[in-house]
Amino acid sequence: MIKIEHLSKNFGSLSVLRDISVEIKEGEVISIIGPSGAGKSTFLRCINLLDRPSSGSILIKGINILDPKIDVAKVRQKMNMVFQAFNLFAHISVLENLTIAPMKLLGKSRESAEKKAHELLNLVGLSDKAGSYPDELSGGQKQRVAIARCLAMEPEVILFDEPTSALDPTMINEVLSVIRRLARQGLTMLIVTHELDFAKDVSSRVFYLDEGGIYEDGTPRQIFENPQKEKTKAFIKKQESFYQHIVSSNYDLYALIAEVDCFCSRLMVNVQSRKNLMVLIEEVLQLFRKSTLSFPLDMTVNYEEKTEMLELLFEAPPGSVNPMLTESGDNGSALPAIESRLQSQEYRQLGGRNRLSLYLKKP
Amino acid sequence: MIIQTVRESAAMVVSLSGRLDTVTAPDYEKKFDELISREEINFVVDFDKLEYISSAGLRVILATSRRIKGKNGKIHLANISGNVKEVFEMSGFAGIFPVYGTVAEALKMITG
Ligand SMILES: Nc1ncnc2c1ncn2[C@@H]1O[C@H](COP(=O)(O)OP(=O)(O)OP(=O)(O)O)[C@@H](O)[C@H]1O
Ligand SMILES: [Mg+2]
Repeated sequence: MIKIEHLSKNFGSLSVLRDISVEIKEGEVISIIGPSGAGKSTFLRCINLLDRPSSGSILIKGINILDPKIDVAKVRQKMNMVFQAFNLFAHISVLENLTIAPMKLLGKSRESAEKKAHELLNLVGLSDKAGSYPDELSGGQKQRVAIARCLAMEPEVILFDEPTSALDPTMINEVLSVIRRLARQGLTMLIVTHELDFAKDVSSRVFYLDEGGIYEDGTPRQIFENPQKEKTKAFIKKQESFYQHIVSSNYDLYALIAEVDCFCSRLMVNVQSRKNLMVLIEEVLQLFRKSTLSFPLDMTVNYEEKTEMLELLFEAPPGSVNPMLTESGDNGSALPAIESRLQSQEYRQLGGRNRLSLYLKKP
Repeated sequence: MIIQTVRESAAMVVSLSGRLDTVTAPDYEKKFDELISREEINFVVDFDKLEYISSAGLRVILATSRRIKGKNGKIHLANISGNVKEVFEMSGFAGIFPVYGTVAEALKMITG
């Protein structure tokens, strides 16, 4: 239904979307998630021509909407968008908000437009608000009217850009449940959202946007339960990371430990885990120092708030060896101190780097 | 780490405070080099104020004690507790050295 090919979007020298190619089928409900600034809104805005793509093509049922001869108003009617802040017309009633555009743009009679409007208000649970003015509604009600108004244009695709992020927490659910109802009716929808639990249960497909593109694309199960790529994992697990590039074996241990400690206290990591982490950093770095070709070394501390899992990750250059295998268990060996603090460890080669991943025991 | 030394009649008492780790282990070694070159051979190392020890710390204690042994001397450890005690036990260190509750006990043992 929607075929996007080599879509790119720049704002001046800022490249936001780079060479995105993807196909969206009729009836798919796609959640678009990703960090702030990833280009989620820009992606939606390109699809309904609020932003003009810098290059590439967007085909809707075979028609290239980037063709200069295309009727933009018609594209927007087919790909109607619901925004974060419900932009209803304030000076007219809810009913008129729903009928004005269909009468003007779709050439509907007042009678048929009003009939449809009442049906839609019923669908969003607001049949008693037809005569009210937007100011008399709560935020959640306004957003439901905005959704009904969008539907009144009989779009083929609905684009939602964070439809609940301007709402009080108490009103989020009423709006989400309306969107759920639409999903069950088989409407094709693209939903940018920060509500990951909602994305997980409402969508048939999830795009994780990062690095200027669809970084990972999969079913909710794949993306939320078994993400394959690093950044997706970090985002889904709400993982926080501390990263340090260690140039040579002359690193400043105390400065490093102080920074890690600061990171840990910001995340309120348990005191015992913090102490264990400091011991591991010193001991493992020392092992790296004793083995060949270990530097420059990248060290990352990952903390998963939900599970309180701490991971200490080292990435060493090609040709380096696993430092955990370089020592025998003699007196004075660092291994007992290291291993007694670990739940598990893993060593593997990935993308030309040698990765030593250590998971700390929970206290 | 701060290292303080006090000459008692039976032995040289070396008190450590702070951290004995990769960064400070060379200081420990240097101090003992200096003491050994002044013909000191009997030592009591006081861990009372030591907050943290890492394997680099253990290794340097082991290495210096071998050199002291080579000169027919002996090293005694005192006041091992907390994190330091844990590390000693985990590494099997506790069995290698004579360990005493206090410096006074260690000195008494040396005088016999
Ligand atoms: N009109 C514009 N002019 C210049 N830069 C823009 C414009 N619109 C967006 N950007 C930039 O493009 C990048 C992507 O913005 P976008 O709004 O698409 O992100 P987003 O993923 O929707 O983020 P959020 O989750 O915060 O809404 C940002 O760096 C933003 O500053
Ligand atoms: Mg946005």
